[in-house]
Amino acid sequence: MTMIPMPAHPEMLGPANPPHAPGPSPPLPSPASPAAEIATRLLRRPTGLAGVLIITGFLLAAFAGPHLYPGDPFDVAGLPFSPPGEDLVLGTDYLGRDILAGLLHGARATLTVGAIAALITLVIGVAIGALAGYFGGALGTALMKITEFFQVLPTLLFAMVLVSLFGQTLTVVTLSIGIVSWPPVARLTRAEFLRIRGLDFVKAARAAGAGAPYLILRVILPNAAPPIIVAATLAVGTAILFEGGLSFLGLGDPNVMSWGLMIGQNRAYALDAWWTVALPGAAIFIAVLGVSLLGDAFNDAINPRLRRRT
Amino acid sequence: MSAPALLEVDGLFVHFEASRRPKPAVVHAVDGVSFRIPRGTTFGIVGESGSGKSTTAQAVMRLVPTTAGAIRLDGRNIIDLNGVALHEVRKSLQMIFQDPFSSLDPRRRAGNLIAEPIRLLEHRSKDETAARVDELLAAVGLQPSAASLFPHQFSGGQRQRLCIARALATAPALIVCDEAVSALDVAIQAQILNLLLRLQAERGLAYLFISHDLGVVQHMCDEIAVMYLGQIIEQAPNSAFFSRPHHPYTWSLMTAALPAGPLRQSLKKSYLATGEPPSPINPPNGCRFASRCPFVVTRCREEAPELVAIGTGHWVACHRHDEIDPPVFA
Amino acid sequence: MSSDPVLVLDDLSIALATISGEVPVVEHLSFSVAQGSTIALVGESGCGKSMTALAIMNLLPQGFRCSGGRILLESEDVVAATPSRRRALRGNRMSMIFQEPMTALNPVFTVGEQIAEALRAHQNLGRRAAAARALDMLRAVQIPAAENRIKAYPHQLSGGMRQRVMIAIALACRPKLLIADEPTTALDVTVQAQVFDLLARLQEEMSTAIILITHDLGAVADIADDVAVLYAGRCIEQGATRVVMEQPLHPYTAGLMVCVPHLQPGVMAARHRLLAEIPGMVPPLGQRPTICAFSDRCTRVGNDCLSEPQPPLFTLAPTQAVACLHPLQRETTA
Repeated sequence: MTMIPMPAHPEMLGPANPPHAPGPSPPLPSPASPAAEIATRLLRRPTGLAGVLIITGFLLAAFAGPHLYPGDPFDVAGLPFSPPGEDLVLGTDYLGRDILAGLLHGARATLTVGAIAALITLVIGVAIGALAGYFGGALGTALMKITEFFQVLPTLLFAMVLVSLFGQTLTVVTLSIGIVSWPPVARLTRAEFLRIRGLDFVKAARAAGAGAPYLILRVILPNAAPPIIVAATLAVGTAILFEGGLSFLGLGDPNVMSWGLMIGQNRAYALDAWWTVALPGAAIFIAVLGVSLLGDAFNDAINPRLRRRT
Repeated sequence: MSAPALLEVDGLFVHFEASRRPKPAVVHAVDGVSFRIPRGTTFGIVGESGSGKSTTAQAVMRLVPTTAGAIRLDGRNIIDLNGVALHEVRKSLQMIFQDPFSSLDPRRRAGNLIAEPIRLLEHRSKDETAARVDELLAAVGLQPSAASLFPHQFSGGQRQRLCIARALATAPALIVCDEAVSALDVAIQAQILNLLLRLQAERGLAYLFISHDLGVVQHMCDEIAVMYLGQIIEQAPNSAFFSRPHHPYTWSLMTAALPAGPLRQSLKKSYLATGEPPSPINPPNGCRFASRCPFVVTRCREEAPELVAIGTGHWVACHRHDEIDPPVFA
Repeated sequence: MSSDPVLVLDDLSIALATISGEVPVVEHLSFSVAQGSTIALVGESGCGKSMTALAIMNLLPQGFRCSGGRILLESEDVVAATPSRRRALRGNRMSMIFQEPMTALNPVFTVGEQIAEALRAHQNLGRRAAAARALDMLRAVQIPAAENRIKAYPHQLSGGMRQRVMIAIALACRPKLLIADEPTTALDVTVQAQVFDLLARLQEEMSTAIILITHDLGAVADIADDVAVLYAGRCIEQGATRVVMEQPLHPYTAGLMVCVPHLQPGVMAARHRLLAEIPGMVPPLGQRPTICAFSDRCTRVGNDCLSEPQPPLFTLAPTQAVACLHPLQRETTA
């Protein structure tokens, strides 16, 4: 038998001020916005803080690193396969290129691919999910059939086809990752829209004169945003892995240094010179871990059941 | 029936499809409902869950598509209006929902919520809107500083005040109150009911008051209709309704709502309906209350009774309304 | 009803841990329930009535704890019991029904399985015996066509049926004590009356003691023998239901009685008159004063109310106690 203790009535927990109370009324609560509250809760969690720190660190490396450690990562900087700590801090790869320079410069490409691909995922997924969820009916069914079609395609294979058809450039790689990753976001958005569409405040907004665009963009979407943002955060991690995977298979952009490219080009020597593959691999691992930690912590922070009662 | 009333609902049907397979199932949420609400008066609809009272309210608000019938506001049928014309109608037609915790967008501040109908329906300057928001907050008994708070920072009663302020924003002639106090604590209910009464006196508002609570309805309404499975089964002015109700279902509702005591105990045996309402999916042909009625006869199961007038403004849909004497409730 | 009380609450206090220390949720609550009798805990949301119920069941949510006093179920201290002993008490000797039966029933098991589950867990019945008892229970709660309904899933039943199933589960092991937390609030009015009748009948058969939690004093007058009115976590009036309802002594109880527009058949003058309202609202948790918490809403407030701490309950009549410095007068005539 499930006998779950009921959560305390919200009225007990929230501060409130009686409008008619005789005598001095208690001070008004500070008008903290829900967004500010979520941010506070996020940073209070160890995982959330770790995620934020990792992501900030990588962003700093990506954007300040190349200035602090200038030089072309494709230039030969020393003997091939020199181990870390001898000539260069992190050693060189099979062509004698500086691994540290590769990591710092590659961070920019890898993180950009991750962010933009996630953005594309988000835009397509939210647009299709929102329309399907809000309008439902024949349009909703049609949109979900399209989503299912994309979902049953093997994603990596599909991305490989796109890259080999349209060329091995960073733009095509990013677009391909975005195009194959949106269906889960669409399904999530649709589910959220279906749920929120039936709530009273949406009816109240309609009664107040709101039309479909206003309802979708200004009423339902802001309320559906938290889980979608979580999904988008996780999509950044997936996209980084995807880029690594494509590059490993030799389908990355050979003219732009990225972590995936480093792994892909050095993979034949992984057993002889572990650092050529392990270091960019570790960078991907930590970046994806950071994004996942952030996403999970965010998910917890927006879940009202886990909110601390204060 | 003289000049057109503020709101006239005429033969309203709201059906929707519950499923197509294995066999078609149509929910008869509202099945031929007619009533009129004169300006400045309160019309109550009483019923249990599934009676169609909330669907009727939402149909009047044009929030659910109607199958047939007419809804006239000031003599003008609003059932097919769209766009700008519907916006004009919405200004004079507003609604308060049951649950003040779910009917306010949690991500907007109170001031923004109250201003929303003004922004969407009227073209006013920012200053005018802000002044109006202050005035509305005062009208419902909230401090001006409340405008910058989020809904979760208010108590249930205060939230319902916010909802009322929002409904008043475009100076409507009719406010639909769908179980507007049933989610509130009893002490707060009285405050909100009094607020509604004061606002009605000050502004000449009409209310369509949906409730399951006969005590509240007796206190608030000029005229009352009882709905059962999508149909009005009895309708009467307040005094006639509460002194001499004629439908067995009304008797059951009144018995259940009587204050505790020997009278209620004795009436319960003969007048309290047994069981629960059947599903509004594909309802039976005869009287819809037949399956629970203590006074059912064969005719009730075969033939649906029509609403017939039995007094001034008193209508009842029961084959046996002149055979059985109503119980004495007082 | 002269036997030993089934449940005794002795000076129970419940507190909630917050960042800024513990805040009291329920303070110094005492009452007892005898076999076969019913006490109603009445109050607005946030008054601590549900927390009291959960404390008795040992189901307090995280952060809440019993900070003082004792809960004795047939003379056994519930708070001090070991976790396994508590589980044995729950369901077997006391059980609880909730406001919303849909969320309290498990959607993936049939109602028969859920009743049998309770029996098998607590009474060591075999599968067959438990199934038979489950059917008996469904009949006892007057579910029509019980033989078929025993195989139904919760979503296939109406709200009233689900609450009947909840009652069947709660009473399957014939507990000494049943806690009903707003058991009919989610139900239709005619069904509410049926469920209350059912509870009263089963109580008579099994001599269960019932704690009924409600916000509507009028609704429970028929079935509650005693009533305790809670305000901001403190009991402010307690006594025999009939006495308290006919002649409330605390201004808050009196206010609760008149602010509800009760049905008055045949009376026409009531319409459109303003109701007597209690202004303001309950002080939120953590902002309760040490003086009488009702003083800022009270019409009878005196200077002593604002300077002296909340008075304890004191007996004003044989079956009525009140915690107020200026109680309403008892009419001595009659």
